[in-house]
Amino acid sequence: MDKLKTGIKNLDGILNGGIPVYSLNIVSGSPGSGKTIFVQNIIFNSARNGLKSLYLTTISESQFKMVRHLQEFEFFSDDFLGDKFIYGDLGAVLRKQGTDEVLGYLTEMIKKHQPNILVIDSFKAIRDIFPDEKTFKAFVFDLAAALSIWEVTVFLVGEYEEKELTILSEFAIADGIFHLYGQEEKRFQKRYLRILKMRGTNFEQGEHLFRISPAGIEVYPRIKPEGKELQYEVKPGKKGFGITGLDEMLSGGLTEGTITLISGGTGTGKTALALKFLLEGAEKCENGLFLSFEEPASQLIDNARHLGWELDKYLADGRLDIKFVSPIELDIDKHAFEILDMVNKNKVDRFVIDSISLFESSVSDIQKYRDYLWAIGQQLKKRHITTIFTVLNEDLFSPVVVTKAQISLMADNIIILRYVEDNSSIKKVLGILKARGINHNKDLREYEITPNGINILEKLDKGNILR
Amino acid sequence: MNGLVEKKIKRYENLLGEIWTASEKYLGTFSVKLLVERVVWDLSQEYREIELLHFDESGISCAEIAASMKKNPELSVDDMFMKFIARYVEILARLIGHEKTEKIAKKLNKEFGNIPFNSKEE
Repeated sequence: MDKLKTGIKNLDGILNGGIPVYSLNIVSGSPGSGKTIFVQNIIFNSARNGLKSLYLTTISESQFKMVRHLQEFEFFSDDFLGDKFIYGDLGAVLRKQGTDEVLGYLTEMIKKHQPNILVIDSFKAIRDIFPDEKTFKAFVFDLAAALSIWEVTVFLVGEYEEKELTILSEFAIADGIFHLYGQEEKRFQKRYLRILKMRGTNFEQGEHLFRISPAGIEVYPRIKPEGKELQYEVKPGKKGFGITGLDEMLSGGLTEGTITLISGGTGTGKTALALKFLLEGAEKCENGLFLSFEEPASQLIDNARHLGWELDKYLADGRLDIKFVSPIELDIDKHAFEILDMVNKNKVDRFVIDSISLFESSVSDIQKYRDYLWAIGQQLKKRHITTIFTVLNEDLFSPVVVTKAQISLMADNIIILRYVEDNSSIKKVLGILKARGINHNKDLREYEITPNGINILEKLDKGNILR
Repeated sequence: MNGLVEKKIKRYENLLGEIWTASEKYLGTFSVKLLVERVVWDLSQEYREIELLHFDESGISCAEIAASMKKNPELSVDDMFMKFIARYVEILARLIGHEKTEKIAKKLNKEFGNIPFNSKEE
């Protein structure tokens, strides 16, 4: 089936290529939810592909106001006005001639302009003019039939409430339904889009984040764990840290393509350990990506220098990349998608998220956080990317809790870093709780962070450390 | 108008009737009527006489076109109907897909022969 490409970032992917042509689609949402911009973004993108649109308003914005608002967006071009973008006032016909003339007027406008896309904004306003539901239902049916015969893809825009989506007759005849809505979540006012129905194509169900930027609408597809059992090949290779004692404890390193949690209290060196893992990869010509939610790149580079590690060379040749997302800006819906996008684009072999604790604190729904992390984990494993997630353990002297959200279940390997008190001084110990496929060392070993890097020392001669 | 042209128009009327019935299965009567209306409109820029085609829920009639031939014997009936059919089939194929349209075309070719149904766009 031929598809109309929306050209909206990531939307055609969600729609498996686009919206089936000649379909009748309803774009619903409350005022200010972004319906009009959504549709206009599609028609201006389509105009660039040579398609003509007829935009009919009822009681919505005047053409003057619409153009004024639209010119703020990059997708807008006044070259298309009057040529690929024809504006018409259906409201005047409704007011002067009544509902009986609407279909005739639409047909005449289609014959005159022969558009590929027709928009009626707002369709809800037409519904309100009809005397009863029965007459309106008949009109909607005739409209759908007539427009499909003229090979027009239709968007009916309306301020519908969510509860109306299942009861009103126009939703029964619609081939596609896009529902747009906003939600206050933690520190963000977020916009979401759901495709409730789309005949003739598969589509990604569920809630997709979108934002309105100067470029127009940008959609961030919902990332969810795959329902079916994850099948992936376990590679025999090892990826070391380049820290002698630790690599020995791991019988050479982490198994390639696995996920490792490094859990520890503040200042235990989680970030340093993760950074060293990427540096070791870079020295072996492997690509590494460090996604930091805690420290900006400059600070990480500086900290590494104090440990005797020079990152600049690898950052310059692209072997190593550090991306910093401020915790204030961190939005799991957006960044979960972008992480996978970045990993794919950079052809990453080793990957670090520092830390997933901040990821967790950005969502109000803990299940959503788990789903995202599981989905990211699955995708990374499928791509054989050896990954480290650092986790902040807020209880400095308790190693028992690895993560609060049971994320440890998804990890193949768990390394704990913790403080212990020894003879009135604080020492750091490292232990491997789990390392899939590796006969790992079970000792708790003391370690030190020095200007020459991280040194793994001897087993601490002290009992009941984990108690 | 000689009997030959009358016969020809009758044959086209039967053919259009068959096309109507065959596409009704996929589109429904209401949409078939709309589709014929559209093709008539498309073609009327070239052949005014096509507007004399009578169609409603009960079917299609070329009686008025046949009558008009008396006033305008020069009208190229074959061209007009062939263009009508070609346009109809072209749109139908885009609406219901080439495979289903080919099925209809095959069936009609069996009954009428020599009608160049082509559901593929030029």
